[in-house]
Amino acid sequence: MVAEHIIKSYDQELQRLDNSIAEMGGMAETQLQAAIEAVSKRDGDLASSVIEADAKVDELEHEVEAQVVRLLALRQPLARDLRQIVAALKTSTDLERICDYAANVAKRSLVLNQTAPVKPVYALPRMGAVCLAMIKDMLDAYVERDADKAYAVWLRDEELDEMYTSLFRELLTYMIEDARNITACTHLLFMAKNLERIGDHTTNIAETLYFLVHGTPLAQIRPKRDRTVEASPPDDNGDQEDVA
Amino acid sequence: MTIDVSPVDSPTQSPARPPLGTTPMVSVNRTAERGVPQTKVVIKDLRFYYKNFEALKGINVELYDRRVTAFIGPSGCGKSTLLRILNRIYDLYPGQRATGQVLVDGKDILDPRQDLNLLRARIGMVFQKPTPFPMSIYDNIAFGIRLYESLSAQELDDRVEQALRRAALWDEVKDKLKQSGLSLSGGQQQRLCIARAVAVKPEILLLDEPCSALDPLSTQRVEELIAELKSDYTIAIVTHNMQQAARSSDYTAFMYLGQLVEFDETEAIFTHPKERQTEDYITGRFG
Repeated sequence: MVAEHIIKSYDQELQRLDNSIAEMGGMAETQLQAAIEAVSKRDGDLASSVIEADAKVDELEHEVEAQVVRLLALRQPLARDLRQIVAALKTSTDLERICDYAANVAKRSLVLNQTAPVKPVYALPRMGAVCLAMIKDMLDAYVERDADKAYAVWLRDEELDEMYTSLFRELLTYMIEDARNITACTHLLFMAKNLERIGDHTTNIAETLYFLVHGTPLAQIRPKRDRTVEASPPDDNGDQEDVA
Repeated sequence: MTIDVSPVDSPTQSPARPPLGTTPMVSVNRTAERGVPQTKVVIKDLRFYYKNFEALKGINVELYDRRVTAFIGPSGCGKSTLLRILNRIYDLYPGQRATGQVLVDGKDILDPRQDLNLLRARIGMVFQKPTPFPMSIYDNIAFGIRLYESLSAQELDDRVEQALRRAALWDEVKDKLKQSGLSLSGGQQQRLCIARAVAVKPEILLLDEPCSALDPLSTQRVEELIAELKSDYTIAIVTHNMQQAARSSDYTAFMYLGQLVEFDETEAIFTHPKERQTEDYITGRFG
């Protein structure tokens, strides 16, 4: 346990900063959960409420920014305090992006509701569940300053990347089978991409937390299993772009 | 920020980033840029006693040539005592003694045969409160030079000007060199003392809280001066101002209760110190 500062109000301000991050994290969980539910239940009202609530997240992010600037200016933080404050700033940006992606999933679900259901729609909630579990563990790790737990989340992104790659292939197959699936499948593809990006932002937070706790960067190469740049439709041979 | 539903890929996706761990950390290490530092002073198992009180309990540390080393720690931790040993000021007081070794260029300055006048010419010291001599600005500087060297009037004038320029004071005092050193402002007096220390061409400069009695602007002038002087000298500075240590030193030593708790590059001490006591002290958690 870290000892308290001699100046009590400094501790209070740092605690407030942590609380703001926890609140943003809670929002990220709620937003993502609702967005996934809106997709699987074709619930337009729920989707709209997610889109609406996104403004609140932006507000929270600005609040964190203001707190950080104030702490830097007035407290001249050093060592762990400095790392905590920098980490909060970076984490708030990642959380805000995660919420943006959740809102984007909700928006696309409204369009998806206009089309006939396609089968791959059921794979999306599975990806969403992994995302949610990662975010939840990440937030617990953040509150507990548990770098090992953060590292476990960081490794878990691999699973998400694999799910994304396989969903990508599945969607391609559906589109090739029947051109009428293209609209729905394209939206699903973007949604899946959004979830994959949420995983990346969650690993960013894991790296940030690792730095907060240890003062050194998490210097390892994360296994990348997003192989969609290599994937191509089954009948399209040999014309693979090497983008990566 | 919000993302529109559009048939383009996510606009926020960052361009292909090198995988984690392959990007070298950007080094802002000020020390590394200037090559491997040479050791100037080696302090070995240094103990110091005020009568029976052991104020330093076996210090081992090195000072590097043309680097600034800051000593930080709560009052009474022994940092000023350490500085006072380096030019043997303590010899002036009865009942104070040091054991161990302080090797300057390999030679132990604690040796009783050490010529103290020569030692103090090699190792200059500036104190917390400005201590100009009650004489003219010119003589404040010339006094020390006359003790060690016999120069012509012209040569002496040059040396005085040189020292005052070195201390960034020349432009402010060149028209009133005959005025008393005590007529200057606190910040100017402190720079006069630094000029006086520099005038005898020392190798090591010891600064004992040189800015604690100065306003922020004078403080910055002195810090700028330290940055310039370190191209020629080995500098040790004792300060209670953490930001000052962070801004102006290459290495930082944290002392507590007569012991050296941690010594490292300044950047490491202030971003990720290894010792819990150091962390607690610099973040203001010390009980």
